[in-house]
Amino acid sequence: MNREWDRPTEREQAQGPTGHRPGETVPDFGAARRHVIAETVRLARRLRRRGVAVPQSASVDATRALAAVGLGDRDRVASALRATLLGTGADIEAFEAEFPGYWLRLRAGLEGIAVAATGDIEGRGGRPGTEPPTDPEPDQALDVTDPPAQEGEAAPQTGTRPDIMLSTGQREATASTPTGRAEGAIRRYSPDGRREAIDVTAGRLTTRERRQVERFVAALAGLPGRRDRTAAHGRRIDLARTVRASLETGGTPIALPKRTPRRSELRCCLLVDVSGSVLDAIDRSTLVAVVAALGRAARRARTFLFDSELREVTAALDGARDEPAAALRAAAGSWGGGTRIGHAFSAIRERAPTAVDRRTVVVIVSDGLDVGDEETLRAGIAWLRRRAGAIVWLNPLAVAPAYEPTAAGMSTCLPYLDGLFGFVGPADLGAAADQIDRLGLDGPVGLPYHGGRAPGEGRP
Amino acid sequence: MGGAEWLRGLSETDLAARLDEVDYVAEENVVTTVYLAVQLGRPLLIEGAPGSGKTELGKALAAAFDAELIRLQCYEGLTAENALYEWNYTKQLLAVQDGSGTVPAAEDGAGTEVEGSSVFDESFLLERPLLRALRAEGSTPPVLLIDEIDRADAAFEAFLLEVLADFQVTIPELGTVRANQPPVVVLTSNRTRGLSDALKRRCLYLHLEPPSVEKEHEIVRRKVPELDAAIAAEVCAVVAELREETFLKPPGVAETLDWARAVATLRAEDGNGSLTPGEIERTIGCLLKEVEDVDRVDESLLERLERAAATAAAGATPGDRVE
Repeated sequence: MNREWDRPTEREQAQGPTGHRPGETVPDFGAARRHVIAETVRLARRLRRRGVAVPQSASVDATRALAAVGLGDRDRVASALRATLLGTGADIEAFEAEFPGYWLRLRAGLEGIAVAATGDIEGRGGRPGTEPPTDPEPDQALDVTDPPAQEGEAAPQTGTRPDIMLSTGQREATASTPTGRAEGAIRRYSPDGRREAIDVTAGRLTTRERRQVERFVAALAGLPGRRDRTAAHGRRIDLARTVRASLETGGTPIALPKRTPRRSELRCCLLVDVSGSVLDAIDRSTLVAVVAALGRAARRARTFLFDSELREVTAALDGARDEPAAALRAAAGSWGGGTRIGHAFSAIRERAPTAVDRRTVVVIVSDGLDVGDEETLRAGIAWLRRRAGAIVWLNPLAVAPAYEPTAAGMSTCLPYLDGLFGFVGPADLGAAADQIDRLGLDGPVGLPYHGGRAPGEGRP
Repeated sequence: MGGAEWLRGLSETDLAARLDEVDYVAEENVVTTVYLAVQLGRPLLIEGAPGSGKTELGKALAAAFDAELIRLQCYEGLTAENALYEWNYTKQLLAVQDGSGTVPAAEDGAGTEVEGSSVFDESFLLERPLLRALRAEGSTPPVLLIDEIDRADAAFEAFLLEVLADFQVTIPELGTVRANQPPVVVLTSNRTRGLSDALKRRCLYLHLEPPSVEKEHEIVRRKVPELDAAIAAEVCAVVAELREETFLKPPGVAETLDWARAVATLRAEDGNGSLTPGEIERTIGCLLKEVEDVDRVDESLLERLERAAATAAAGATPGDRVE
C-alpha cells in the first residue's frame, strides 16, 4: 500500500534506494523501518476491529518494545506485542488469531528487503531504482547443444533436441544440476531434479489482472448445477410458465419462457506443477499470486503443489491472505523437483479423494513433460475424468504458436481434458475465460481449436 | 541516575539468570515482559488467577536486583494520604502545646520575621510507601509493589496515575519531591473489577498463566527442598488431577506449595513410600478452601488421585495420564 509513511522521504530518494552508491549491497534500513512500523500499526488496527480496546498510543509503545527486543525471535516479539497492545486476559484470543498473519507479513517483507540487497542473479524481484534486467530478444533461443551427460543421471526422455524453444525472460537459465552459472547454462529436466527453497515474494496483481482471474473463475463456475432460474434466453423451456402464459392466448402457447442454469460458485481442485521445467517457464511470483487469487475467488478451492511429491497447501494459503509466498514456504518448503504427474494423481486418489467430486472443476497447471510411468498417468487421469465435473489444463508451453501436444505426458492426458489453454499470466486466463463464456466448457475451447498466443505478447 | 542505568544495561539472559538464582521459575514470556518493563521504564501490570505467583514475582524481582521492596497493599477506601504521606498529628499537637514547635510568627512591627521551628517539618512527616519509594536512596532503584490495585477505587487510581507519570509529588508545606531514580513499579490485579483505561495504557500488561506440570514440579522442588523429589512429582500429579475437577476454587500454585510443605512436615518422622489416600484426605485443607469443594472429595476421587500419584512415581512424567 502506498501510504504516506510508505513512500521514501526526499532525502532517501536523493540518496538512492540503498543510500549508497550503486554496486554496494547494504540492506535498505529505511524501508525495513517503514515496513515494521506499517505492519505494527496495521496489527493494532486489526485488533481494534476485533473489539480489543487498544489505546491510541499503543502502537508507539509496541514499536519501542520491538526495538528493545529485536525482530528475530517469534516468541519474544509475541511477548512484547502482548505486553504493549493488550489490556485484559480476554484479548489474548484475538491476539493469537491475528499474530500468525502479522508474523508472516513482517518476516516476508524483511526477507524481501534482505534478498533485494544481496542482489538476485536471475533478474526476478527487481526493485525500482536498480537496473532492470535486459530482456533477451524474443527469438534468441538458448544455446541448442546436447546437454552433457551427467554421472549417475539418466538421459532426458524428451529427446536429444528440445522441440520447443521458449525465451523465459530470465537472464540465465537455472540448472537443476547446474553445469555452470555462465550464460548458456542449460537446464536438464531429470526425474529427480534438485529442489530449492521457495524464496520468492508473491507479485501483486493489478486490478485488471485480478479481474481476469476472477472472470476465469466465473467462467469455470458455469458448470451446470441443479438450480435454474428464469431467463429470456436459455436452453430449456419452462413448461409451467408456458402453460400459464398460454392462458392469455386462449390455450395456444405462443410465448416460450426459458430457463437457464443458475450460476453457482466455483468449487475447484487446483493442482499446480512446481517442477523445475514449469518454474522456468512462468514467472514465479506471478504464479504464486495467481494461485492465491484463484484460491480466494473460488468458493472452495483445495490447492496442491506437486513435483515429485504431492503437498497440500490449502490451509496455509487460507491463513495468509497477504503473503501467500511465505505461507507456501512454511507449508511446502521447497519446489523445483522433477515431474511425476501420474504419481501426483494417485496420491490424490489415496490421500484426498474427497477433493474431487462431481461438482468440482480440476484445474491442472503443468507443462505435461512427465517422466513418470505412463500407465500410472493414464489410470490417474482416467480416474479424474470419471470423478470430476470438468478438467481444465493450463500449459505454459502452449502459448507458443508452434506448440503441439505431442510430449509423452501431454498426449496421454489430452483425450481426457475438457480444455487445454496456454498460461503464463493472468491475461491468458482472461482469454480462456472469453472462450469458455462463449462456447461453454463442453464446446470446442482451447487447443487445438484456438491456437495459443505468440510469445512476447502481453508477457507479465 | 546511576542505579537506573545499571538496571537498563541488563540483558535478558542476565535477568533470567538472576530470577533463577532467587528460585523464581518463570516462563520465557514473563522474562521478556519484565525485561521490557525495565528497559522502557514502564510500570508492569500483572493479572492472573489468585495464587499464580503475581506477588511472588514482585518479591523475586526485588531479591534478584538486591533492591529494597516497598509494598503497598490496596484496599477499598485507600486514600492518597494513606499511600503517600501523613502528618503525625498527635506529635504536632503535643509540640504546639509544649511550645517547642510553633507556627512561624507573623511579621512584627519592625518588619522582621520571627523564625520559629515549624510543626510542618521532616520529623513530623510519616512516610508512606509511595513517598518512601520516591525518596529511596541506594545504588539500585527500589521495587514498588502495589498489590491488588483492583481493590482500590477509581479516585485512587487517578491519583496513582499522576504519581506514576512523573514520579514526583508536591507536598504543600515542604515542596516538590522528585525521585532520583524512578522505582521499578509492579502492580498486581485479581480482576475483581476492570481497571481504568488510562492506567492500563500507562502500563505494560502481563497475564500470568498457571504453569505447566513440569514447571510446577520445578517450583516445588526449589521452594520445598526438604521434600523428596519423587514425592514432589506425586504431589504435582495429584494437584494436576484435582485441577481437572470443577471446584469452586481450583488450587493454584500457592496451594500446591502449602500442601508440599505440609506433606514434608508430616513425613519428617516416618515418611516412606508414595502418597496414600489417607494422607491426602487429612491434608485436603491445604488444597481446597471451600466447604463445598471439600465435601466433594470422596472415595472414588481419592482413588483416582492415588492412581495419578502412582503413575508419577512409576517414572512417567507428571503430565502423562493412564487412560
